Amino acid sequence: MKDETWLEAFVHELEAAGVGPEDRAGAVVETEGFLSEAGSGAFEQFGSPQEYAAAVATALGQSGRRADPPPGGGDAVVVSGVSKSYRRQVVLREVSVRVGSGEVVVLTGPNGAGKSTLLRLIAGLERPDAGSIDVHGTVGYVPQAGGLDPYLRAEAHFELFGTATGLDRDEARREGNRLARELGWDAGSATVAGELSGGTAQKLSVIAAMLGRPDTLLLDEPYEGMDADSQRRFWALLWAWQDEGRSALVSSHSPGALAKATSVVEIEGLTVR
Amino acid sequence: MSNIQLPVGWIRGVLDPCLLALLSSAEAYGYELAGRLEQAGLGRVPGGSLYPSLLRLEKQGLLVADWRAGDGGPGRKYYQLTPAGQSALCEHVGLWDEFAARVTSVLGAGVES
Repeated sequence: MKDETWLEAFVHELEAAGVGPEDRAGAVVETEGFLSEAGSGAFEQFGSPQEYAAAVATALGQSGRRADPPPGGGDAVVVSGVSKSYRRQVVLREVSVRVGSGEVVVLTGPNGAGKSTLLRLIAGLERPDAGSIDVHGTVGYVPQAGGLDPYLRAEAHFELFGTATGLDRDEARREGNRLARELGWDAGSATVAGELSGGTAQKLSVIAAMLGRPDTLLLDEPYEGMDADSQRRFWALLWAWQDEGRSALVSSHSPGALAKATSVVEIEGLTVR
Repeated sequence: MSNIQLPVGWIRGVLDPCLLALLSSAEAYGYELAGRLEQAGLGRVPGGSLYPSLLRLEKQGLLVADWRAGDGGPGRKYYQLTPAGQSALCEHVGLWDEFAARVTSVLGAGVES
């Protein structure tokens, strides 16, 4: 079994054993660190993912039950019967989605199903033709591409987005760099945003949105272009986010995302005739 | 120190107090602790035994942990002994002396008979 596969399985087993998002993220990063230094296989060091997850759960005193639902349990975003057309072409037809506080919901569906449109509607960038969208608290929207200033360096983005929500410049830079490290990226030495690779630019966008501390993050295909390790870190970061009682709606067509979310909503593609 | 081949289970029984002792002088992260146990001649402790011990000790309040960025790699969790951990260690050291003396005497009697 490849370490990659082992770690994936380990995450699922931890979740099934009732280990909460933050402990889960910690266990995975620690295990990963050990493996990269030890230079030997995951199976040899830790046994089967099932056994090791059970040992971790027992050590944490959490064996055998699923994680408690996050406190609050209120609604973060409620979309009811929303429709949207462009020039008589229907993009969304009576779509309903609910994101509860402290939930990470994955929005899935084929290309062209209207995932991006739905996120733009929730973000308030466009208005639905019919139906209602209730947003409780604040939202932070990360588009599939763009949203960054190509001439500014990463740290300048941290300052820009962080100070907008009351952090001072040093705090904003520190917090931005911390989040970047969680994603396995050294942002301090990074070049201007316009020269970042696709995956790294996505990391910067996600961090910028997180710095705004919105109640709900709206992420449009956030890890397109990120490598496998970064994707795992991205999820660990989202789980920590969820642990704080915050929410996220993530559009994705990657099947790996589905097992990691609180729930999954599929929007059907509308066939164009 | 050269490592000796120990029966399975011996290390598991003494891992917690050994980790507390190693951390009494300075903080360390998991892989570092595995290295020190090996240097001490106790063999290679697999990660699968090491981390559950550390997590349990942390949960019991005998250790506190602090995440820090690794050198380009994933973050590292540094463990540090708490005052409660220090007194648990003292207790273990006393108990161990007592236990070792008794085991030695039982084993000695077994050889004599």
